[in-house]
Amino acid sequence: MARWGMVIDLDKCTACQACSVACKAENNVPHGSPQEHTRRTALFWHKVIAVSRGEYPSASIDLIPMPCMHCDKAPCVTVCPVKATYRRDDGIIIQDFRRCIGCKYCMIACPYGVRNFNYKEQEEQEYHRPDLPPDRASRGPWPFPQRVHGVVEKCTFCFHRIDQGIREGKKIGVEVVPACAEACPARAIYFGDLDDPDSQVSQLLASREWLRLREGMGTSPKVFYLPR
Amino acid sequence: MPAHKSDMSSSKKGKGDRFSINRRTFLKASAFTGAAVAASRIIKYPEASLVSSQPSTEGVITERWITTSCLNCSTRCATQVRVVNGKAVKIVGNPLSQVSEGEICPRGHIGLQVLYDPNRLSVPLKRTNPAKGRGVAPDWVPISWSQALGEVSARLKALRDEAQPHQLLLLHGLNTSSDEDMIYRFAAAYGTPNVVSGDTLENEAAKSGRWLADGNSSHIAYDFGQTNYILVFGADILEYEKPLARNLRMWGKIRRERPNRAKVVVIDRRYSVTAAKSDRWLPVNPGSDAALAMALANVIISEGLYDTDFISGWTTGFDEYKELALSYYSPQRVAAITGIETDTIRQIAREFARSRPAIAWAGRGVAAWPNGTYNSYAIFCLNALVGSIDTPGGVIYQENPGYRDLPEPAEDDIARAGKDKPRLDFGKTSLFPAAAAVANQVADSILNDDPYPLAVAIGFNSNFNMSAPGAWRWDAALKKLPYYVHLAPFISEMAEYADIILPSSTFLEEWGYDHSPPGSGFAEAKIKQPVVAPLDDSKGVADTIFEIASRLGGTVASSFAAIGGDAQGFVRYRTETLMPWSDFREKGVWLGPAYQYHKYDRIFKTPSRKFEFYSGNLENLLKRTGQGVASRLVYLPHYEEVKFLGDELSYPLVLSTYQPLLNIENGNQNYPWAQEFFLVMHGSGWTNFVEMNSQTARSLGIRDGEMVWVESLFNRIKVRARVTEGIHPQVVAIAVGQGHYAAGRWQQAIGVNPNEIIGVDYDRFSGQSSFFNTRVKVYRA
Ligand code: SF4
Ligand code: SF4
Ligand code: SF4
Repeated sequence: MARWGMVIDLDKCTACQACSVACKAENNVPHGSPQEHTRRTALFWHKVIAVSRGEYPSASIDLIPMPCMHCDKAPCVTVCPVKATYRRDDGIIIQDFRRCIGCKYCMIACPYGVRNFNYKEQEEQEYHRPDLPPDRASRGPWPFPQRVHGVVEKCTFCFHRIDQGIREGKKIGVEVVPACAEACPARAIYFGDLDDPDSQVSQLLASREWLRLREGMGTSPKVFYLPR
Repeated sequence: MPAHKSDMSSSKKGKGDRFSINRRTFLKASAFTGAAVAASRIIKYPEASLVSSQPSTEGVITERWITTSCLNCSTRCATQVRVVNGKAVKIVGNPLSQVSEGEICPRGHIGLQVLYDPNRLSVPLKRTNPAKGRGVAPDWVPISWSQALGEVSARLKALRDEAQPHQLLLLHGLNTSSDEDMIYRFAAAYGTPNVVSGDTLENEAAKSGRWLADGNSSHIAYDFGQTNYILVFGADILEYEKPLARNLRMWGKIRRERPNRAKVVVIDRRYSVTAAKSDRWLPVNPGSDAALAMALANVIISEGLYDTDFISGWTTGFDEYKELALSYYSPQRVAAITGIETDTIRQIAREFARSRPAIAWAGRGVAAWPNGTYNSYAIFCLNALVGSIDTPGGVIYQENPGYRDLPEPAEDDIARAGKDKPRLDFGKTSLFPAAAAVANQVADSILNDDPYPLAVAIGFNSNFNMSAPGAWRWDAALKKLPYYVHLAPFISEMAEYADIILPSSTFLEEWGYDHSPPGSGFAEAKIKQPVVAPLDDSKGVADTIFEIASRLGGTVASSFAAIGGDAQGFVRYRTETLMPWSDFREKGVWLGPAYQYHKYDRIFKTPSRKFEFYSGNLENLLKRTGQGVASRLVYLPHYEEVKFLGDELSYPLVLSTYQPLLNIENGNQNYPWAQEFFLVMHGSGWTNFVEMNSQTARSLGIRDGEMVWVESLFNRIKVRARVTEGIHPQVVAIAVGQGHYAAGRWQQAIGVNPNEIIGVDYDRFSGQSSFFNTRVKVYRA
């Protein structure tokens, strides 16, 4: 069984946010509004964050694309009282909307702030888009044609693409990648099997220095960053 | 930055660690960011029934991928659009395109929200309230296309019958290349010399600076993917400079897809995204870039690091240039002008000259100044010094697709006489001798009836009273115009002044051909074809022009007779000589031959047929306009001190503006995805700020997140302050793209438009609007 992971090359990344926008389009993640932005209730499964250091004139800002880290030791899974958040055998951390009771424990437990609570009403026409699935022919049924109000949601590593790709015998990480990786114009996002030493992600990790966010939390993230 | 997994790991409490902040804490830190809402004015939006509704379908039945191209900026990337049940649901890059190697930028995806913008216009509208002005309700009534075209054509016909065709002004913003060709053809056939492109607000001084040196008056193309070193002067390569998606693609390439990683040094008064992603940021005193370029030349020449073969074989004027650089621009002297240390100047000069091929890239940040032509000239010359002219990894000379030639437009005496009249923008006169067109001058020409009054104007996807400095003059000029017709898919600030609005379709519903601005070197054409039928009652620009021309009859109609008949036919007519029509429609892209370097016998359009460090082109031009001078300095690249608008004592800060990547270039910002990711450097959206250095903020007693006034000689705006380390202490910056007040649920009353307080000034040769020499003061509101 593969163990899916992602490598983001911060030297190649241009902070353009095509990844974040493509995620919204692919997964029917509702867009926000000025009010939701102020209340911080807008949903982002993927976001490029800015972290600043130093003082003028030697100031610098790191711009870091952040999906869910799909932690091997995921605190969100541990705290979920109803097993709505669970780890698949391939390491993807998944959220089952039907089991989720909206208690938000996982949101507090996640050290990366990548989880979102869906405050949207289902009747809000714009977010109810059963007619807008992604490429059904190559990527299978779309998991999120309708929003589920009052539950927690987050990045899925585009598991629908991966599952469909495997069914069709495609090479995951080469022919099939998550929507953010596909959209990246700088080709800075790599995806593949961390347990396969020949995969591109493993090769990159073997040849470059790398880091993970908040390593000290002991979460063992499967998203790796290649610094400059 | 060197790192290993063990020393880069961080704990929750680790302080000072670059990654000790997570996404949520970060979001918390910028919690105030959504609230910046400037004083708004309520403007009545057309009744709900006039606004198009989205078609709704259930269940998947049909699914198609259609090739077309983007127009959310002038890069015009080739795309493929997935259409399910007649609804566009996803946009990706077309892998056959070599300009961006099949990639698109984030705005490409946002085409979906441009197409399905809830505030799109669905039918032609006619004004019933004769009074015009900001906040004055036009009281639109819907009319039919035939009535609308009938009224517009009658006006145009009457003006021609009076033999006054020059009193028609055509303004255009961002349009498909084929639509632009139609607009210019219409002007020629009708008989007006007055066609003004919004693009001339942006890039003219960069073009004229380059023209001084090599005689080519177009955007500069850099062979970015093969370069080893880039010296970036005020160029937002990753946010604004074109071709944008190619820049993003090439950035990945030069950093980690080749054995040798290219180095990038950014010289800019603002810490841009490009600066953040570069290897070194050098904040520079505003307006002093030409001095820095000359000091770099000083070091390169005095240390003998220049390319002697190229200089002796293909340049003239080097001795005078050398003399000037060595005698006036020592690193010590220039350090005092630019604020960049002597040693740093020496160091980057050596790196630049020794890491060939190297590029010196002059961006909008150095061009849009009163001394913009000289800034660009001085920087462009650095490329010649190190031999980076028409070489791999240097400056290259763009080729464009050879569309089929159009027959000359039929002209009658009226048209000929009209086109001989002086131009409204004073381009190519002693006022702006090297100008192609001077968009911002037009507002004053209208207001002063100088050189003559106007009768009719037509705006094609333009929005000058948002995008031009001194925006208020455009309000007054549009108010004064006797008859204004506006074509766009949505209501905008400019549309509010129209007598008739014609709802044009978006680029996803239109026929067209397009090519990217210079960058790739080789030529590439891309198709535009409707991915869905035009929504409601909208019509493409080309089809609208065909219909108006035929209603005008005579030579105007015959000029449009044998060129395809309608938009689709026109595109086919012009591209069929490139490749078979069905292939073009299917593949979406036509690719020209591979680029040839070292064409020195052909590329220099100067008196000497060489690269000129002493500009014969400028000398001849000024002689022609009677402005010739004896001083040879005028014809050499050099630094001129900037005259600022506003005195330093009352207005101590210099206002800078910039265009974030998620600013959509069609003059509208009513797109939620573009809004929520608007300012990546501030982790914020749905707003803009006045960004100021922490030292400056402290001295003014301003705290991060506070509302402040930013006041110039001309006007003031109220905006939220953002305190940052990433800006020169004498500079404040405001992102453009916000401050819409006319209409649009997702843009109205969000943030401010800095062009409301920027004064009107020009680069004296090219007529480039100077955006950056307005001084301001900032105080708590
Ligand atoms: S990043 Fe957060 S949501 Fe994702 S697996 Fe780790 S703890 Fe769970
Ligand atoms: S799409 Fe690629 S280059 Fe753009 S921000 Fe995301 S990772 Fe970076
Ligand atoms: S670079 Fe311009 S044309 Fe290309 S995808 Fe982005 S907005 Fe569209």
